[in-house]
Amino acid sequence: MEHNELNEQELQEFERKLRTAMSRRAAPLGLKTRVLAQAHERRQGQRRRWWMIERIAATVLLAAAVGGFVEYRHLEEVRKGEAAKEQVLTALRITGRTMGRVQERLSEDR
Amino acid sequence: MKRAMVWASMLALGVGISTVAARAQDELPPPSPIEKTLAERAEHVTEVTLDKNMLAFAGKFMNKDKDDDKDEKEAKEMIQGLRGVYVRDYEFDKDNEYSAEELEGLRKYITTSDWSPMVHERTKGAKEGTDVYLKMINGQVQGLFVLDAEPRELSLVLILGPIDMDKIGALSGNFGIPKQAVKDVKKAQKEAGK
Repeated sequence: MEHNELNEQELQEFERKLRTAMSRRAAPLGLKTRVLAQAHERRQGQRRRWWMIERIAATVLLAAAVGGFVEYRHLEEVRKGEAAKEQVLTALRITGRTMGRVQERLSEDR
Repeated sequence: MKRAMVWASMLALGVGISTVAARAQDELPPPSPIEKTLAERAEHVTEVTLDKNMLAFAGKFMNKDKDDDKDEKEAKEMIQGLRGVYVRDYEFDKDNEYSAEELEGLRKYITTSDWSPMVHERTKGAKEGTDVYLKMINGQVQGLFVLDAEPRELSLVLILGPIDMDKIGALSGNFGIPKQAVKDVKKAQKEAGK
Protein backbone atom coordinates (compact mmCIF):
# COMPACT_ATOMS: atom_id res chain seq x y z
CA MET A 1 0.00 0.00 0.00
CA GLU A 2 2.81 2.29 1.00
CA HIS A 3 4.51 1.21 -2.05
CA ASN A 4 1.50 2.39 -4.16
CA GLU A 5 1.42 5.82 -2.43
CA LEU A 6 5.07 6.33 -3.14
CA ASN A 7 4.46 5.42 -6.70
CA GLU A 8 1.71 7.95 -6.92
CA GLN A 9 4.02 10.58 -5.54
CA GLU A 10 6.63 9.66 -8.00
CA LEU A 11 4.07 9.76 -10.76
CA GLN A 12 2.96 13.20 -9.71
CA GLU A 13 6.54 14.37 -9.63
CA PHE A 14 7.06 12.92 -13.04
CA GLU A 15 3.94 14.62 -14.37
CA ARG A 16 5.09 17.93 -12.93
CA LYS A 17 8.45 17.61 -14.55
CA LEU A 18 6.83 16.61 -17.81
CA ARG A 19 4.46 19.54 -17.67
CA THR A 20 7.36 21.86 -17.04
CA ALA A 21 9.31 20.37 -19.89
CA MET A 22 6.35 20.45 -22.25
CA SER A 23 5.28 23.91 -21.29
CA ARG A 24 5.57 26.51 -24.01
CA ARG A 25 8.62 28.66 -23.58
CA ALA A 26 9.76 31.57 -25.64
CA ALA A 27 12.81 30.91 -27.85
CA PRO A 28 16.02 32.65 -26.83
CA LEU A 29 16.42 36.05 -28.29
CA GLY A 30 17.96 36.00 -31.82
CA LEU A 31 17.70 32.23 -32.21
CA LYS A 32 15.53 32.48 -35.33
CA THR A 33 17.95 34.92 -36.96
CA ARG A 34 20.91 32.76 -36.03
CA VAL A 35 19.25 29.60 -37.39
CA LEU A 36 18.21 31.37 -40.61
CA ALA A 37 21.69 32.87 -41.01
CA GLN A 38 23.29 29.49 -40.49
CA ALA A 39 20.95 27.85 -43.01
CA HIS A 40 21.63 30.65 -45.47
CA GLU A 41 25.36 30.28 -44.98
CA ARG A 42 25.14 26.55 -45.48
CA ARG A 43 23.18 27.06 -48.69
CA GLN A 44 25.68 29.68 -49.87
CA GLY A 45 28.57 27.34 -49.10
CA GLN A 46 26.93 24.56 -51.05
CA ARG A 47 26.23 26.94 -53.91
CA ARG A 48 29.86 28.14 -53.85
CA ARG A 49 31.09 24.56 -53.92
CA TRP A 50 28.84 23.73 -56.89
CA TRP A 51 29.89 26.91 -58.66
CA MET A 52 33.53 25.91 -58.16
CA ILE A 53 32.90 22.37 -59.41
CA GLU A 54 31.00 23.74 -62.39
CA ARG A 55 33.82 26.15 -63.17
CA ILE A 56 36.45 23.44 -62.92
CA ALA A 57 34.37 21.10 -65.08
CA ALA A 58 33.79 23.86 -67.64
CA THR A 59 37.50 24.71 -67.69
CA VAL A 60 38.46 21.07 -68.11
CA LEU A 61 35.90 20.67 -70.88
CA LEU A 62 37.04 23.83 -72.62
CA ALA A 63 40.70 22.86 -72.32
CA ALA A 64 39.90 19.41 -73.71
CA ALA A 65 37.92 20.94 -76.58
CA VAL A 66 40.68 23.47 -77.40
CA GLY A 67 43.36 20.79 -77.06
CA GLY A 68 41.39 18.43 -79.26
CA PHE A 69 40.86 21.11 -81.88
CA VAL A 70 44.55 22.07 -81.88
CA GLU A 71 45.56 18.42 -82.13
CA TYR A 72 43.04 17.86 -84.93
CA ARG A 73 44.37 20.88 -86.83
CA HIS A 74 47.93 19.67 -86.34
CA LEU A 75 47.10 16.16 -87.55
CA GLU A 76 45.16 17.59 -90.47
CA GLU A 77 48.13 19.78 -91.41
CA VAL A 78 50.51 16.81 -91.15
CA ARG A 79 48.15 14.75 -93.32
CA LYS A 80 47.94 17.49 -95.95
CA GLY A 81 51.70 18.05 -95.81
CA GLU A 82 52.42 14.36 -96.28
CA ALA A 83 49.96 14.27 -99.19
CA ALA A 84 51.66 17.32 -100.76
CA LYS A 85 55.06 15.69 -100.25
CA GLU A 86 53.86 12.52 -101.95
CA GLN A 87 52.57 14.63 -104.83
CA VAL A 88 55.95 16.33 -105.22
CA LEU A 89 57.73 12.97 -105.22
CA THR A 90 55.22 11.58 -107.74
CA ALA A 91 55.69 14.63 -109.97
CA LEU A 92 59.47 14.27 -109.82
CA ARG A 93 59.28 10.56 -110.52
CA ILE A 94 57.13 11.19 -113.61
CA THR A 95 59.49 14.00 -114.64
CA GLY A 96 62.47 11.69 -114.24
CA ARG A 97 60.78 8.91 -116.17
CA THR A 98 59.72 11.28 -118.95
CA MET A 99 63.19 12.79 -119.21
CA GLY A 100 64.60 9.27 -119.32
CA ARG A 101 62.34 8.38 -122.22
CA VAL A 102 63.24 11.62 -124.01
CA GLN A 103 66.90 10.85 -123.61
CA GLU A 104 66.40 7.29 -124.80
CA ARG A 105 64.56 8.52 -127.87
CA LEU A 106 67.24 11.12 -128.60
CA SER A 107 70.09 8.66 -128.21
CA GLU A 108 68.31 6.25 -130.57
CA ASP A 109 68.23 9.02 -133.17
CA ARG A 110 71.92 9.85 -132.82
CA MET B 1 41.85 68.39 -117.37
CA LYS B 2 40.02 65.95 -119.62
CA ARG B 3 43.28 65.02 -121.37
CA ALA B 4 44.99 64.38 -118.03
CA MET B 5 42.18 62.04 -117.02
CA VAL B 6 42.49 60.12 -120.29
CA TRP B 7 46.26 59.76 -119.73
CA ALA B 8 45.74 58.67 -116.14
CA SER B 9 43.22 56.01 -117.13
CA MET B 10 45.52 54.76 -119.92
CA LEU B 11 48.39 54.54 -117.46
CA ALA B 12 46.25 52.66 -114.98
CA LEU B 13 45.14 50.28 -117.72
CA GLY B 14 48.76 49.73 -118.76
CA VAL B 15 49.83 49.02 -115.21
CA GLY B 16 46.88 46.66 -114.78
CA ILE B 17 47.67 44.74 -117.97
CA SER B 18 51.37 44.42 -117.11
CA THR B 19 50.51 43.21 -113.58
CA VAL B 20 48.09 40.62 -114.94
CA ALA B 21 50.67 39.56 -117.54
CA ALA B 22 53.40 39.26 -114.89
CA ARG B 23 51.10 37.21 -112.68
CA ALA B 24 50.06 35.02 -115.59
CA GLN B 25 53.74 34.29 -116.28
CA ASP B 26 54.23 33.14 -112.71
CA GLU B 27 51.10 31.11 -112.39
CA LEU B 28 50.31 27.63 -113.52
CA PRO B 29 47.81 27.43 -116.36
CA PRO B 30 44.32 26.16 -115.67
CA PRO B 31 43.77 22.62 -117.00
CA SER B 32 43.31 22.51 -120.76
CA PRO B 33 40.00 21.11 -122.07
CA ILE B 34 42.08 18.60 -124.06
CA GLU B 35 43.28 17.06 -120.80
CA LYS B 36 39.70 16.22 -119.84
CA THR B 37 39.08 14.28 -123.05
CA LEU B 38 42.43 12.51 -122.71
CA ALA B 39 41.64 11.58 -119.11
CA GLU B 40 38.31 10.09 -120.21
CA ARG B 41 40.10 7.79 -122.65
CA ALA B 42 43.02 6.89 -120.41
CA GLU B 43 43.13 3.76 -118.32
CA HIS B 44 45.26 5.36 -115.66
CA VAL B 45 45.67 9.08 -115.01
CA THR B 46 48.11 10.88 -112.74
CA GLU B 47 47.55 14.58 -112.25
CA VAL B 48 49.75 16.69 -110.02
CA THR B 49 49.30 20.44 -109.70
CA LEU B 50 51.37 22.20 -107.09
CA ASP B 51 51.56 25.96 -106.94
CA LYS B 52 54.21 28.00 -105.14
CA ASN B 53 52.41 27.82 -101.79
CA MET B 54 51.82 24.09 -102.00
CA LEU B 55 55.45 23.49 -102.91
CA ALA B 56 56.60 25.52 -99.93
CA PHE B 57 54.14 23.65 -97.71
CA ALA B 58 55.31 20.27 -99.02
CA GLY B 59 58.91 21.37 -98.50
CA LYS B 60 58.25 21.71 -94.77
CA PHE B 61 57.44 18.01 -94.57
CA MET B 62 60.41 16.84 -96.59
CA ASN B 63 63.63 15.64 -95.07
CA LYS B 64 62.43 16.51 -91.55
CA ASP B 65 64.36 13.67 -90.00
CA LYS B 66 67.93 12.75 -90.66
CA ASP B 67 66.71 9.23 -91.40
CA ASP B 68 64.68 10.41 -94.40
CA ASP B 69 65.89 9.07 -97.70
CA LYS B 70 68.22 10.87 -100.09
CA ASP B 71 65.47 11.37 -102.67
CA GLU B 72 63.53 13.57 -100.28
CA LYS B 73 66.53 15.72 -99.49
CA GLU B 74 67.29 16.24 -103.15
CA ALA B 75 63.65 16.81 -104.01
CA LYS B 76 63.41 19.43 -101.29
CA GLU B 77 66.43 21.27 -102.64
CA MET B 78 65.04 21.05 -106.14
CA ILE B 79 61.62 22.49 -105.40
CA GLN B 80 63.01 25.42 -103.45
CA GLY B 81 62.20 28.62 -105.32
CA LEU B 82 59.94 26.92 -107.86
CA ARG B 83 56.71 28.69 -108.72
CA GLY B 84 54.77 25.66 -109.82
CA VAL B 85 54.84 22.04 -110.87
CA TYR B 86 52.21 20.71 -113.26
CA VAL B 87 52.41 17.07 -114.28
CA ARG B 88 49.96 14.96 -116.24
CA ASP B 89 50.48 11.32 -117.14
CA TYR B 90 47.95 9.34 -119.15
CA GLU B 91 48.33 5.62 -119.66
CA PHE B 92 46.14 4.01 -122.32
CA ASP B 93 45.22 0.38 -122.84
CA LYS B 94 45.46 0.73 -126.63
CA ASP B 95 48.04 2.32 -128.91
CA ASN B 96 47.65 5.91 -130.11
CA GLU B 97 44.60 6.89 -128.14
CA TYR B 98 45.48 10.55 -128.73
CA SER B 99 45.57 12.55 -131.94
CA ALA B 100 48.28 14.76 -133.40
CA GLU B 101 45.86 17.70 -133.07
CA GLU B 102 45.53 17.08 -129.36
CA LEU B 103 49.31 17.08 -128.95
CA GLU B 104 49.56 20.29 -130.94
CA GLY B 105 46.74 21.78 -128.87
CA LEU B 106 48.54 20.93 -125.62
CA ARG B 107 51.81 22.38 -126.92
CA LYS B 108 50.17 25.61 -127.99
CA TYR B 109 48.19 25.84 -124.77
CA ILE B 110 51.27 25.74 -122.55
CA THR B 111 53.97 27.42 -124.61
CA THR B 112 53.65 31.12 -125.21
CA SER B 113 56.21 33.36 -126.91
CA ASP B 114 58.53 33.12 -123.85
CA TRP B 115 59.19 29.47 -124.50
CA SER B 116 62.00 28.30 -126.77
CA PRO B 117 61.82 24.86 -128.33
CA MET B 118 64.81 22.75 -127.42
CA VAL B 119 63.83 19.36 -128.69
CA HIS B 120 61.18 18.51 -131.24
CA GLU B 121 61.33 14.91 -132.27
CA ARG B 122 58.88 13.18 -134.60
CA THR B 123 58.92 10.10 -136.80
CA LYS B 124 57.04 10.41 -140.05
CA GLY B 125 53.74 8.61 -139.94
CA ALA B 126 53.87 8.06 -136.19
CA LYS B 127 52.01 10.05 -133.59
CA GLU B 128 54.66 9.51 -130.95
CA GLY B 129 57.18 12.22 -130.38
CA THR B 130 58.92 14.42 -127.91
CA ASP B 131 58.95 18.13 -127.30
CA VAL B 132 61.10 19.95 -124.81
CA TYR B 133 60.72 23.70 -124.32
CA LEU B 134 62.65 25.99 -122.05
CA LYS B 135 61.59 29.34 -120.73
CA MET B 136 64.69 31.51 -120.73
CA ILE B 137 64.78 34.85 -118.96
CA ASN B 138 68.11 36.70 -118.90
CA GLY B 139 69.96 33.52 -119.72
CA GLN B 140 68.37 31.70 -116.80
CA VAL B 141 66.08 28.72 -117.16
CA GLN B 142 62.78 29.84 -115.66
CA GLY B 143 60.65 27.03 -116.93
CA LEU B 144 60.77 23.55 -118.39
CA PHE B 145 58.03 21.98 -120.47
CA VAL B 146 58.23 18.40 -121.67
CA LEU B 147 55.58 16.67 -123.74
CA ASP B 148 56.38 13.07 -124.39
CA ALA B 149 54.02 10.93 -126.42
CA GLU B 150 54.56 7.19 -126.39
CA PRO B 151 52.22 4.71 -128.08
CA ARG B 152 50.39 3.99 -124.82
CA GLU B 153 51.50 6.82 -122.62
CA LEU B 154 51.35 10.57 -122.79
CA SER B 155 53.29 12.65 -120.28
CA LEU B 156 53.22 16.37 -119.80
CA VAL B 157 55.62 18.04 -117.41
CA LEU B 158 55.62 21.75 -116.70
CA ILE B 159 57.96 23.23 -114.12
CA LEU B 160 57.90 26.97 -113.51
CA GLY B 161 60.57 28.90 -111.68
CA PRO B 162 64.34 29.06 -111.59
CA ILE B 163 65.53 25.58 -112.46
CA ASP B 164 69.00 24.67 -111.33
CA MET B 165 70.22 22.14 -113.85
CA ASP B 166 72.86 20.98 -111.38
CA LYS B 167 70.09 20.04 -108.98
CA ILE B 168 68.32 18.18 -111.76
CA GLY B 169 71.66 16.50 -112.35
CA ALA B 170 71.78 15.54 -108.70
CA LEU B 171 68.48 13.72 -109.16
CA SER B 172 70.04 11.50 -111.80
CA GLY B 173 69.77 7.89 -110.91
CA ASN B 174 67.39 8.52 -108.05
CA PHE B 175 64.46 9.79 -110.06
CA GLY B 176 65.57 8.24 -113.32
CA ILE B 177 66.81 11.41 -114.99
CA PRO B 178 69.82 10.44 -117.06
CA LYS B 179 72.89 12.65 -116.79
CA GLN B 180 73.06 13.09 -120.56
CA ALA B 181 69.64 14.81 -120.61
CA VAL B 182 70.86 17.26 -118.00
CA LYS B 183 73.99 17.95 -120.02
CA ASP B 184 71.86 18.63 -123.10
CA VAL B 185 69.66 21.06 -121.22
CA LYS B 186 72.70 22.86 -119.76
CA LYS B 187 74.19 23.15 -123.24
CA ALA B 188 70.96 24.67 -124.52
CA GLN B 189 70.91 26.99 -121.53
CA LYS B 190 74.41 28.22 -122.42
CA GLU B 191 73.47 28.74 -126.04
CA ALA B 192 70.33 30.63 -125.14
CA GLY B 193 72.33 32.84 -122.78
CA LYS B 194 74.73 33.90 -125.52
